[in-house]
Amino acid sequence: MIRWGYAINQFNPQFDDFVRRRQHQRALRVISISGFSGVELSSGSGRWEPLGNPTQIAANFGSVAGFGEFVREAGLDAVSSWFWDPWTRFGEDLTHGDDPTDPAKRDGLIAHAEWFAAALAELGGSVLVVRPAPYAGQVPRLDDAAIATLAASWEAVGTAIAAHGIRLGLHFDFLSSLRADDGLERLLAATDPTLVGLALDTAEFAIAGRDAVAAVRAHADRIVHVHLKNAAAIDTDEEYLTSAAEYTVLRAGGARVVPRWFNELATEPLLVDAPGVVAELVRAGYEGWVVVESDFSPHPATSVMLNGWEVQHVLAPIS
Amino acid sequence: MKWSYMDHWRSMSPHGPIDQWESRTSMDRFLKQVAAVGYDAIDTFDFRWYQIMGEYGSVANYQEFVQERGLERIVNTFHAADYDPRVYAPHVPETHANILEDFRVTMDRWSGIELDNIIVMPATLYYDMEPVTEDKIKTTAELWNKVGAITKDAGVKLTCHHEFFCGIQSRAELDTFYAHTDPELVNLFVDTAQHCIASVDPIDFYESYADRVTGFHFKDTRHQDLIGDYRRRPDSEIMADTTEKWFHEMGDEGGLVDFENFMRAVVRHGYEGYLSVEHDKANKLGGDHAESTAIARWYAKNVLEKVAAEEVAR
Repeated sequence: MIRWGYAINQFNPQFDDFVRRRQHQRALRVISISGFSGVELSSGSGRWEPLGNPTQIAANFGSVAGFGEFVREAGLDAVSSWFWDPWTRFGEDLTHGDDPTDPAKRDGLIAHAEWFAAALAELGGSVLVVRPAPYAGQVPRLDDAAIATLAASWEAVGTAIAAHGIRLGLHFDFLSSLRADDGLERLLAATDPTLVGLALDTAEFAIAGRDAVAAVRAHADRIVHVHLKNAAAIDTDEEYLTSAAEYTVLRAGGARVVPRWFNELATEPLLVDAPGVVAELVRAGYEGWVVVESDFSPHPATSVMLNGWEVQHVLAPIS
Repeated sequence: MKWSYMDHWRSMSPHGPIDQWESRTSMDRFLKQVAAVGYDAIDTFDFRWYQIMGEYGSVANYQEFVQERGLERIVNTFHAADYDPRVYAPHVPETHANILEDFRVTMDRWSGIELDNIIVMPATLYYDMEPVTEDKIKTTAELWNKVGAITKDAGVKLTCHHEFFCGIQSRAELDTFYAHTDPELVNLFVDTAQHCIASVDPIDFYESYADRVTGFHFKDTRHQDLIGDYRRRPDSEIMADTTEKWFHEMGDEGGLVDFENFMRAVVRHGYEGYLSVEHDKANKLGGDHAESTAIARWYAKNVLEKVAAEEVAR
C-alpha cells in the first residue's frame, strides 16, 4: 500500500523562517487537510530549527512524544521520514559533520543516524533519508575506493538503524558526485540491499537527465522511499560540476537563472510523468511512503493544495 | 454537512497579484485548491457574469468547468451593488425602479443554473443612510419584499447579509428590518464576523431568526468596532485607521467568534443547506488566501464537524 506524505522543507526557506509554533501548526494542518497522512522532516541544528533534530524537538515540545502528539492533533498519522544531510554541523553536540567518505568519521555518522532513527521510530516513521555522497563540485570523481568507503559507511548505518526498525534510503540528487560515471549504480551494487535502499526523488533524476519512470523500473528492488515532484528544467550544461552548485545552481538557477527547478506535479512542463511513476511503483509492488515535495516553492500552501488535488484525483486512484 | 467556499481569492503571478478570473489556468488552479482541501462547492459574485460570458460562454459552461474539478456546483451568488443615493439606494424610493430592473436582468442572466440564494447587502453604506430611521428601514424593507418576489419567481431565495458598515447593522436596526420584511420573501444570511464587529452576538441573533436563515459566512474577526468605524468616510472596510484587516479565517488564533457554540446552534435548529466559508481580504498584512482557505477547512473538518456530531447525538 502506498501512503502519501508531504515534505516540510518548502515551508522553511531560510534559517530564520518557520520558527514559531503557529507556523508549524498551520503547515501541518495544510498538509493534513490536503489529503496527506504523513510529514517528512528535514535535519537542522540550533534554536532556529525547532523541527531539525530530536534535541530541538524536545526543547520545543517537551519530548519527541510531545511532538508526536502535536503531529497527530493536526490530523496526520505520523512523521513518515526524516531527511538528514550528514554534512550538517550540530551545535547540539559540537560536531562538524559526518563525511561518509571518511572512515574516521564513521562512528559519528552512526551515532547521529541512530539519534534520528530512534526519534523517527517514536514518531511512527520508517525511513531515514540521507544525502549519500558529496556534491560533485566539491570532490574529485569517485573512484572505486571512494565507492567502497561510502558503501561501508552506509551499510554500517543501515545495520545500526535497523535495530530501531528504520530503513536507510540513499537520496540521489542532481548535484551529487554519484551522478558521474554511474556512481549511484556502483554504490547500490556495492551495498547489501537488506541494509541500504534507494530514496528515489523523481525530479532530481529528471534534472540529471534521467527518466523517472525508467529509474523506478531500473531500481524497483532497491526503492524504500519516494520523493515525488516535478521538474521544470534539465541540467543540460552539467553545471552540477561547478563549485558551490548547491547555491549558485540549485538556489540561484545557474547560468540560465532557472527560477525554480522543482514544480508541482501537474505544472507544465511535465518533465516527470507522475502518473507513470506511480503506475510503475504499483507494478513493482512498492509498499511504503510516497512523499510529495515542492522544495523552494514561493507559495507553499498552494503547492500542497495543488499536489493534494493531483494525488486525490489522479494518482491515488492509480495506486 | 456540506461546505461551500466564497470565492474571494488572490494569488501571485509573474506580473503581481491576480485573482482567479484572469485566465482558465488561474481558475483551474483556484478550483483545484478549493476542492483539494474538501470544500464541496463554491459561491461567487454575480458581477463576474461578464468574465464568465467572455471566457466560458455561459454561466452553465462555467459551472461545468467547476464540476470537472471535483466541486458540486455554484450554490450562492452575491449581488454586490454599487449603491448611490442618486440612482440606486434601498432607502430612496425614487431609485427602486432601477433596483427592481437590475434584479430582473440579473435573475435572467443566472437562469442557466440552479442557485440557492442571491445574497445582498440590504442597505447603503451607513453614512449614506444616516440618520437611520424606522421610516427609512421600512422603505428599504418594502423594496426587498418586491425584490424577493422577483427572485422567488426565478426559484432563488433572496437573503440579506449585513456588513458592519451598512445602514442596517445594529441589533435594533436589524430587528426593525426583519419586522417589516415578509419571511416568505426576505431571508437572512448570517456573517459571523460582520455581526461580531458590529457588537451583535451572532449566536443570539441567529437563534432569534433561525427559521429565516438560508446561509452563513463562517468568518472570524479579531476586532470589534468600538469607536464608530462603521461610519468612516469614504470607507470602513479596508481604510479604517484603527484596523487594517478586519477579517480572518476561522481556526486561527485570536478570533472573537465562538464557532463551536455557533455550530451547535446551527445543528439544533436543523439547518440543512450548505455552510459557506469566507475570509475576504485574507491577503492583507502578508496573509495568503490559499493557506487561509486550507486552515479554515481544517477547522471545519477537525473541530466543527465533530462538535456538530456531538450535538446531533444529544
